Amino acid sequence: MRKFFCFVMALLRELGDENAYQRHLAAHGVVHSPTEWRRFCDAHWLAQSRRGRCC
Amino acid sequence: MSYTPTDVRRSTPAGPPPSRWRLPRAVGWVLWAAISVLGAFAVSVLANDRGEPVSSMWMVTAAVCIYLIGYRFYASFLAAKVMALDNRRATPAERLRDGHDFEPTNKWIVFGQHFAAIAGPGPLVGPTLAAQFGYLPGALWIMVGAVLGGAVQDFVILFCSLRRDGKSLGQMAREEIGKVGGFVALITVMLMMIIILAVVGLVVVNALKGSPWGTFTIFATMPIAIFMGLYLRYLRPGKVLECSAIGFVLVLAAIFGGQAISTSTYAPWFTYSGVALAIALIVYGFMASALPVWLLLAPRGYLSTFVKLGVVLLLGLGVFIVHPQLQMPAFTRFVDGTGPIFAGKIFPFCFITIACGAVSGFHSLISSGTTPKLMARERDATATGYGSMLLESFVAIMALIAATSLPTGVFFAVNSPAGIVGTTPAAATATISNWGFPVNPAEMQRLADGVGEKTLFYRTGGAPSLALGMAQIFSSFIHGNQEVLAFWYHFAIMFEALFILTIMDTGTRVGRFMLQDLLGSVWPKLGQTNWKPGMLGTSAVVVAAWGYFLYQGVVDPLGGINSLWPLFGIANQLLAAVALCVATTVLVKMYRARFMWITCVPLAWLTVVFFTAGWQKIFDDAPALGFLAQADALAKGPQTSATAALIFNARLDAGVTAVFMILVAIILVDSIRVWIGILSGSREAKNTETPFVLTRLPEEA
Repeated sequence: MRKFFCFVMALLRELGDENAYQRHLAAHGVVHSPTEWRRFCDAHWLAQSRRGRCC
Repeated sequence: MSYTPTDVRRSTPAGPPPSRWRLPRAVGWVLWAAISVLGAFAVSVLANDRGEPVSSMWMVTAAVCIYLIGYRFYASFLAAKVMALDNRRATPAERLRDGHDFEPTNKWIVFGQHFAAIAGPGPLVGPTLAAQFGYLPGALWIMVGAVLGGAVQDFVILFCSLRRDGKSLGQMAREEIGKVGGFVALITVMLMMIIILAVVGLVVVNALKGSPWGTFTIFATMPIAIFMGLYLRYLRPGKVLECSAIGFVLVLAAIFGGQAISTSTYAPWFTYSGVALAIALIVYGFMASALPVWLLLAPRGYLSTFVKLGVVLLLGLGVFIVHPQLQMPAFTRFVDGTGPIFAGKIFPFCFITIACGAVSGFHSLISSGTTPKLMARERDATATGYGSMLLESFVAIMALIAATSLPTGVFFAVNSPAGIVGTTPAAATATISNWGFPVNPAEMQRLADGVGEKTLFYRTGGAPSLALGMAQIFSSFIHGNQEVLAFWYHFAIMFEALFILTIMDTGTRVGRFMLQDLLGSVWPKLGQTNWKPGMLGTSAVVVAAWGYFLYQGVVDPLGGINSLWPLFGIANQLLAAVALCVATTVLVKMYRARFMWITCVPLAWLTVVFFTAGWQKIFDDAPALGFLAQADALAKGPQTSATAALIFNARLDAGVTAVFMILVAIILVDSIRVWIGILSGSREAKNTETPFVLTRLPEEA
C-alpha cells in the first residue's frame, strides 16, 4: 500500500513537473529559489506549450 | 550508413526478458484459454440482441479479455519478433540525458505521463456520438481497432522515435519517406489542429448554450487559473501539487456557486446563445495564445491533467460498481445512414466517428514527442506505447457504457438537432417515439429539472448526454440516490469543458508556432516567437481559422456536428495514415518486410474507410450527407445572406475534405514508391537508426 502511494505521489509530481524541476536544480547545481523556479518555468513551459494536447 | 540482415540478427536480443517469477507453462496456457473463452462468451452475449437490456459488465469483460490477449500475445510478438526491443541498448533518455527533456524515468511514471498526454475528449465524445448505430458497432470497433490498429501505431512510432534520438513524426516522415512526406505531415498537422479546435469548441458551446450553471462554472475556471498562475509564480513557487489542490477545491466551489447563480437574478448574466459563446471562445483562444504561458495556460494544464485522471478513475470505478444496464439496442435502425446525430451509413462513418479510442493519428505526435525522451529501457515501450492505448480504448468503452445506459429515447432527444426532430419538445418527442424509442416531454422536463437545466433538448455534441450518463453512474454509487445528480452532471460538464479548453488554448498556441515556423522561412522576422506584432498576427490568423469553422458549426441548422465531426475524424485518420506509412517504411528499411502486414493492414483499412467517407461527404446525393448536394439543395431554395453563407460553408467543407484526400493519396504514393524501390533492390535501404550503444543503467532503472 505504501509502495502504491509512493508511486502515485511520484506520478503526480512528474505530471506536475515538480520532478522535472528537481532534475533542473540537480543538473545546474543550484538550490531552489523563486528566481530559479521562474527561470525553469519560462524555459520548460515554453517548450511544453509548443506541443499539442491530444484530442 | 546502410544495414545488412546480419546486423539485424546481431541486434536481436537473446533470451526472454528478465523476470523474477513465472507461472508454470501449463497453468499459463489454461489461464489464457479461460480468458479467451470468457472473452468470446462476453462478445457473444453482447452480439446476441434479445431485445432486452444487457448488463454493461459483459462489455467490460469482453474489452478486458480482448485487451489482455492483445497485450500478452500480439504486443509481445511485436516487441520480440518485429521490433526486437533490446534492453541492452541505451535509450535517448540515457545517451542524451540533459536533466530537462531527456531523462531516464520509471516505467510506470512514463506510462502515466503518456496516458495523460493521449487521453482527451475524443475517446469520450466519439463513442457517444457513434452510439446512434447501437452499442455493438462502436464497442467492437473500439476493442478490435485499438488492439490491431491504434496500439500498433502508437507502439511502432514510439519505437521508431526511440531508435532515432526521440525525433518527431514530421522529422521521421522527412527522413524516411522524403521531403514530400515531411511537408504532407506538416500540412496535415496544421489542418487537423484547426478542425480539432473548431469541433471541440463546438462541443463546449453546445454543452453551455442556455446553461447559466455550466457557463458560470467554466467562466470561473479562468480567474481560478490566473490565481493559480500568480500563486505558483510569486506566492509559493514550485508547489504545483499544492497549488493544483487549491485550484481543484476552488473549481468545486465554482460548481456550487453555479447552482446558486442559476436560481438567482444573476442567471441572465450567464445565459448565452451559441453564437455568443462561440465569440467568447474565440476571444479566449486569442488571449490564451498571446498571454504569458505561466499566467493561464500552465496552471490550467496541470489542473486539467489531474482532474482528467481522477475522473477517468472514478468513471471506471463507477461502471464496475454500478454496472448499469445498456438500454440502447445492439443495432439501431440508423445503421442505414438516416441517423439524426450525423448522416451516413455504419460503414464508413462508425469508423470515422470513433477515431480516438480505436485509432488516433494524433497519438503519433505524442509517441514521437515527450515520451521517447523519458524512457529508460526499450522494452518499456510495450507498456507505454501499446498498453496506454489499450487503457485509452477502455476509457472509450466506459464512455460508450455511460451514453448507452441512458434510455434510448432520452439519448436521441438530447443529441438530435431541432432541424431533424422538430423545433418543439412535443414535435421532437413525437418524432423520436415514432422511431421506436419512446420518450415524452414530461420525462425530458423532469430530467432537465433534476440536473438543474431549463431543457435538455437539442444539446448536440455528445457532451451533455455523456455528462448525463456519467452523472447517473456517479450519483448511484457515491450517494445512492438521485439527489446529487445535478452536482455530478455539472461536475462532468466542467470536467469535459476544462480539458477541452486546455486543448484549445494549447492548440492555438501550437498552431501559432507552426505558422510562425512556416512564415519564418519567407520572412525571418515572422519566425521570431518573441516579436509581438508577429505573435499577435499569427495568433489572430490561427484563431480566425478555427473560429470560422466553429461559427459555421454553431449556425448550421443540422447542428454542426453533422459536418464537423466527420471532418475531424477524417483529419485524425489522415494523420494515422501518415504515421503508419512512416512505420511501414521503417520496417522495410529494417529488413522486416515480412512483417509489413502489421502496419499495412490497419493502413489499408484506414485508407478504404477514409476514401469512402471522404468521397461520400463530398459527392453523395443526399443533402444531409454530401456537402455539394447540400449546397445545391440550398441554392434551389429562397436566397438570403444566411443561405449564401451556408452554401459557401458546404462548398468550403467539400474543399477541405478534398484536400485531405489529396494529401493521403500523395503520402501513400510516395511511401509505396519508396517501399517498391527498396524491395526491388533499386533503392538503398538507408537506415537512420542511431548506432547501438550499450546501456550503463542498472537493471532496475
